[in-house]
Amino acid sequence: MEKLKYDKPTISKINAGMPSKFGLPVKQKVIADIDGIKVSSLIEEYGSPLFVISEKTMREVHAEAKRAFETRYPKVQFAWSYKTNYLDAVCSIYHDEGSWAEVVSGFEFEKALSNGVHGSQILFNGPDKSKADLTLAIENNACIHVDHFDELYLLIETSRELKMKARVAIRVNMDAGIYPIWDRFGFNYENGDAWNAINRIMLAESLEMIGLHTHIGTYIMVQSAYAIAAAKLANLYMAIHRKFDHWLKYIDMGGGFASKNTLKGAYMPGNETCPSFDEYAEAISNALISSEIPHENLPVLFLETGRALIDDAGYLLTTVIANKRLNSGRRSMVIDAGVNLLFTSFWYNLGVYPTRELGNAEESTIYGPLCMNIDVVRDAIVFPQVKTGEQLVIERVGAYNITQSMQFITYRPNVVLIDNDGKTHIIRKKEGLETFKNSELNPKRNYQKP
Amino acid sequence: MKITDEVRISDNGFVFNSKTGDSFNVNPTGLELTKLIAQGQDFDTIKNMFLEKYELDDLTFEKDFYEFCALIKFHQITTTEDPLDFK
Repeated sequence: MEKLKYDKPTISKINAGMPSKFGLPVKQKVIADIDGIKVSSLIEEYGSPLFVISEKTMREVHAEAKRAFETRYPKVQFAWSYKTNYLDAVCSIYHDEGSWAEVVSGFEFEKALSNGVHGSQILFNGPDKSKADLTLAIENNACIHVDHFDELYLLIETSRELKMKARVAIRVNMDAGIYPIWDRFGFNYENGDAWNAINRIMLAESLEMIGLHTHIGTYIMVQSAYAIAAAKLANLYMAIHRKFDHWLKYIDMGGGFASKNTLKGAYMPGNETCPSFDEYAEAISNALISSEIPHENLPVLFLETGRALIDDAGYLLTTVIANKRLNSGRRSMVIDAGVNLLFTSFWYNLGVYPTRELGNAEESTIYGPLCMNIDVVRDAIVFPQVKTGEQLVIERVGAYNITQSMQFITYRPNVVLIDNDGKTHIIRKKEGLETFKNSELNPKRNYQKP
Repeated sequence: MKITDEVRISDNGFVFNSKTGDSFNVNPTGLELTKLIAQGQDFDTIKNMFLEKYELDDLTFEKDFYEFCALIKFHQITTTEDPLDFK
């Protein structure tokens, strides 16, 4: 007699509480392949866990952002935010799409140069610029975005010593209706600090003021905040022209556009609530075009968006290590990718999906493999029953997770790029013991017990 | 391990515990398992019946069986006469 298909026995409590206003999805989403390549064959070839980046998605999303802005504003220039993901292969794709580089440290500056970016096409942000960093930036004719007065005076001193002119902009913080206000970076608009800094720069013979920069926050879900910020920068832009008869070259609106991930505590999923590129573009372009800046003197609009460009292109493939029933009766499972690889799991409810259709979904907790209590990838997710060895996909992990990943307890995995032709390439190798031995020194190596 | 006297199990997988006021749904294999436990069948008998009927290996059954037993015990559907199960 032919045997029947077996389903794991389950029992679920019926809760007669208030039903969800929005209901639950009736069909479990499945991610069986990425750009036509089966998840199982990727894991077989490159191991688990595994970061996968889709070049196709990167280019598609970039094209969408570019179209949204270029159809609304005459002069637009994107600059790839290195800290979001500075793997060389990733940066090269954005540079190939025409992006400049936006860096926030000497290390990132050197990386951009090594990726073939011309120094004059590097925007140098951040509060930490040493004298050596500033020297590197001045010698390469970069756009230095000054963060505070101490940096400004160090820059004046350095450029005088080098007998070279530094091209500068200032970062401006302001009340754009987003609270708490990000006032730790740059000079404040409302209290006059920004105007004071501008005056000091305009008086410095060794500095050439070329732009204004702001970055009002991160994961901004209200596009009108950008309109307020753009209008305030337009005011400064015109004030500089009136006082000094000087037209700046650009206004840099920074980044902070939300990706489609869902923030913890959010009522609705991010892909339904986050503004589109069109909405951000409309708010910013409208504010600049309708400001008092004459059309023939409109500045170039710089955008440094990182998260919204690459989040969708990154996946983390993982494998189930164990299923456990907690003391409370709650189902939990352990997977082989933890929070050391998924920094964004601290503020997002990351999407975790099976690679095939499975039955009997139950509210579960997903733990990572680290022997640490904080290693929780999802604290509450309705997830089907899975066996050990089942392969899962965590989506929208392209931004920040690779750059902020931490070597802790175990090695960091391979990162693979699927190119436009559907070919796979390792773009960062899995770590091994040698990775660490190469940079460690042990003065006690030959120590012998007496 | 026995099913608590206050528990009623319908043939379509609805379980009601009048002691706690809770109700539950069990899937078909869960229902089969609950009924076999209610009949007083022991682990080995139930295992052999399942292995004969379903595409299943003994270790998977063992894991699932004990997880299911822990869950129905947690929901007070079963009681253990001898708390240490010494028999």
